[in-house]
Amino acid sequence: MKRPRKSKSGSRPLALRLAALRPRIAAFLLDWASWGYIAYGVMYLLNKYWYLRYVDFYGRLTLPSWGWPLVILATLELTLLSHAFVQTIGLSLFGLRVLGPDLRRIPLRARLRRFIVQHAVLLAQPVALFRDRPGGLLLHDSPTTGRMHLVARVKDEMPPEPPEKVWRTYRGIFLAGLLGLTFWLGWKITTINLQMLIERIGKSGHIWRDLFTPHFTYLTEYVNERGRLYSITYHMMETIFMAFFATVTGAAIAFPLSFLGARNIMGFNKLGWLVYSVMRLLFNVFRSIESILMAVLFAVWVGFGNPFAGAMALLLHTVAALGKLYSEQVEGIDPGPLEAITATGARRWQVVVYGVIPQIIPSYLAFTLYRWDINIRMATIIALVGGGGIGTLLFYFKNEVGRLPDAWNQVGAIVVSIVVVVWALDYISARVREKIG
Amino acid sequence: MATDELIRVEHLTKIYERGDIVALKDISFTVKRGEFLVLIGLSGSGKSTLLRCINRLIEPTSGRILFDGIDVTKASAKQLRQLRRRMAMIFQHFNLVKRSSVLTNVLAGRLGYVHPAASAIHRFPKEDIDAAIANLERVGIPEQIYKRADELSGGQQQRVGIARALMQRPDLLMADEPVSALDPATAHSVMQYLEQMNREDGVTVIASLHFLSLARRYGTRILALKDGEIVFEGLPAEIDGKKFKEIYGEEAEEVEVR
Repeated sequence: MKRPRKSKSGSRPLALRLAALRPRIAAFLLDWASWGYIAYGVMYLLNKYWYLRYVDFYGRLTLPSWGWPLVILATLELTLLSHAFVQTIGLSLFGLRVLGPDLRRIPLRARLRRFIVQHAVLLAQPVALFRDRPGGLLLHDSPTTGRMHLVARVKDEMPPEPPEKVWRTYRGIFLAGLLGLTFWLGWKITTINLQMLIERIGKSGHIWRDLFTPHFTYLTEYVNERGRLYSITYHMMETIFMAFFATVTGAAIAFPLSFLGARNIMGFNKLGWLVYSVMRLLFNVFRSIESILMAVLFAVWVGFGNPFAGAMALLLHTVAALGKLYSEQVEGIDPGPLEAITATGARRWQVVVYGVIPQIIPSYLAFTLYRWDINIRMATIIALVGGGGIGTLLFYFKNEVGRLPDAWNQVGAIVVSIVVVVWALDYISARVREKIG
Repeated sequence: MATDELIRVEHLTKIYERGDIVALKDISFTVKRGEFLVLIGLSGSGKSTLLRCINRLIEPTSGRILFDGIDVTKASAKQLRQLRRRMAMIFQHFNLVKRSSVLTNVLAGRLGYVHPAASAIHRFPKEDIDAAIANLERVGIPEQIYKRADELSGGQQQRVGIARALMQRPDLLMADEPVSALDPATAHSVMQYLEQMNREDGVTVIASLHFLSLARRYGTRILALKDGEIVFEGLPAEIDGKKFKEIYGEEAEEVEVR
C-alpha cells in the first residue's frame, strides 16, 4: 500500500511532527540514562577501591560544584557521540537507524560531520521543530548525508544486509559491559562476602539440626499460652481458608473490573479511556504494595494476629494482581469474534458476554489457581506483621528461643507442616492447570 | 422509501491516523437491491476497509453512506445497532467464538433482536433456537450443532458463519474474502450458499474475492479497487486482459479456480 505523506501537500500539524520525534527523544534519553548509569558505577567503584576525596564523612558520594555539570555534559557528549557513530541500544530499541540517501550506512567522515553539526545547531533546533520541511525535522539531518530513519518505514526499500552477530556489534558489547558493571556494583553494594559465608558455617549448625528433628507436640493439641494460640492444625486451617477466601472473593471482584481495565473493550471513547486509565493505575498501585505491607495496616485496623487482617490484605492484593493479569488476557484475545458479534447489532456488553468471556475462561482459571498458590505461601508468613494464620505460631516459637529448650524443634514442626501443605496444594493446582491448559 | 437502491456511498474517505495511510480515497458508488456485487483488488487495496465502513466497524474519516435511505455515518449508537441487524457479515477467518458451541455461535446472530437481559444468561426464545437448527440444516451441518466451533473444518466453520448471518434475516450480506482460507472445492460450495441467499431470499450481497474466476462466476457486477480508488466498475464480462493488468498490475497473471 502506498503511504502518501501529508508533508508533500502541506505542512503537518505540530502534534504529528512532535509524535514523529518521539522515538528519537526516547532513544536519546535511554542512551543518556545508560551513560549516566555507567558514570555512577565508575564513581562508586572509584570511591570503593581508592577512597577518592569526593566521599564525605558518612561515605556518601559528593562532587565539587563543577562536578555535576561536568558529569552531565560528559554523558551528553558520549550519547551524541555514540548516536553519530554507532547503532546504540536506544536506537535499535526504538527502531531508528542513521542511513544515507541510498538507505545504506553512511561513511565515517559523514558521521563525524554529523556529530559536529549536531553541536552547532543545538540552539537553533527548537525553531526547526516549528518548520515542516520534507528533508526532515532536525537541522543536523540536512547538511550531513545521513538522516535518522524509522526502520519500519523504510524496511522494504533498504538494500539487503547480512545478519550481524550480536556479540560483535556495539550494542552487544555495550550491553555485556552494562551487565558486568551491574554484577560488580551489586557485589559491592550488597557486601557479598564468600569468606564469611564459609567461616561462620558453624553458627547456624544447631538450628539446622533442631529444625530437622521436629517435635510435633502441638500438632492437634491445644496450646493456649496467651489465650490466642491453638494447635498447628487449627492455625493451618486458618491459613488455608484465609488464602481460599482471598482468592475466590478476589477473583470474583477482579473479573468484572478486568473488562474496565482492558483497552480493546474500553478504548472507544474518552470516558472509556478515562475509566481504563484509572483502573490500570489502581491495579498497578495496589499490585506494587506487597500484601505483607497491606497487612500491617489491616492488623492495626482489625486487630493484631487476627486472620481477618491477613485475609483482607491478601484480598486487596489479589484483586489488583488478578485484575491486571485478567485485563492483559482480555487485551490479548482474538479480535475477530468481537467484530463479528458487533456486526450483528449486539450491544457492547453482549459482545463481552458472547465474544470475550468464552475466550478468556481457561486462562482466567489458570491465573486464579496460580494466585491461589501465591496466596497460600503468603498466608503462611503474613503473621510476621500480625496477619494471623500458621505464622502466628511459627513466630511465637521462634521468639521463645532461649526460654523454651525445644523451641527450634517446634519451629521445625511448623515449617515441615507448611512444606507439606504448600506442596500438596501446589501439586493439586498444577494438575488442575494442566487439565485446563 | 422503496427505491431499488439499497446502498449509496458518497465521497467515502478513510485515513488511518497511525502511519498516515489513506485506505480509501473519495469513493462513490451505489448498490441496487438484489445485486451480487463483487469487490476485487490486490491485498491492501481497501476492500476490507470499505466493507467495514458500511457497518461502521471502522469509522469513516469523511463521506456519507446511505443504507436504505438512512445515513449510517450519522446514526446514533442505537440506530447503528438497528442498522447492523439488517446487514450481516461473514469473514475471511470465519470469526467464530472458537470455544463456544456451534449453536451459541449461530444464536449470536440474534443478539441485536433478543431481550438483552435474557441474552445475558444465554436464554434465547424457542423460535430462535428452532431457526438456528433450521439454518444449520440449510447449510448442511445439522449434526454439528453441539460441537465446539474449533472442532469443525474450515468449510464447516464458514457455513456456521453463514448460518449466523442468516439468523439476522438481513437485507444485505457483506462477505469479506469468505473463501480465501478455503480449498477450491469448499470455496465453491460456500459461494453457492451465498448465491442461494442472493437468489432465493433476495438478500443483496457484497463480497470481496481474490480470484477473478470466482468473481466472474458469481458476481452480477464487479467493482475493482486499487490503492483505495475505484479503477473499474461494470459487468464481469467487461474485464479483459488489459483491464486485468490495470487492476492487478503488469506482472499479474490470472489464476483459475474451478
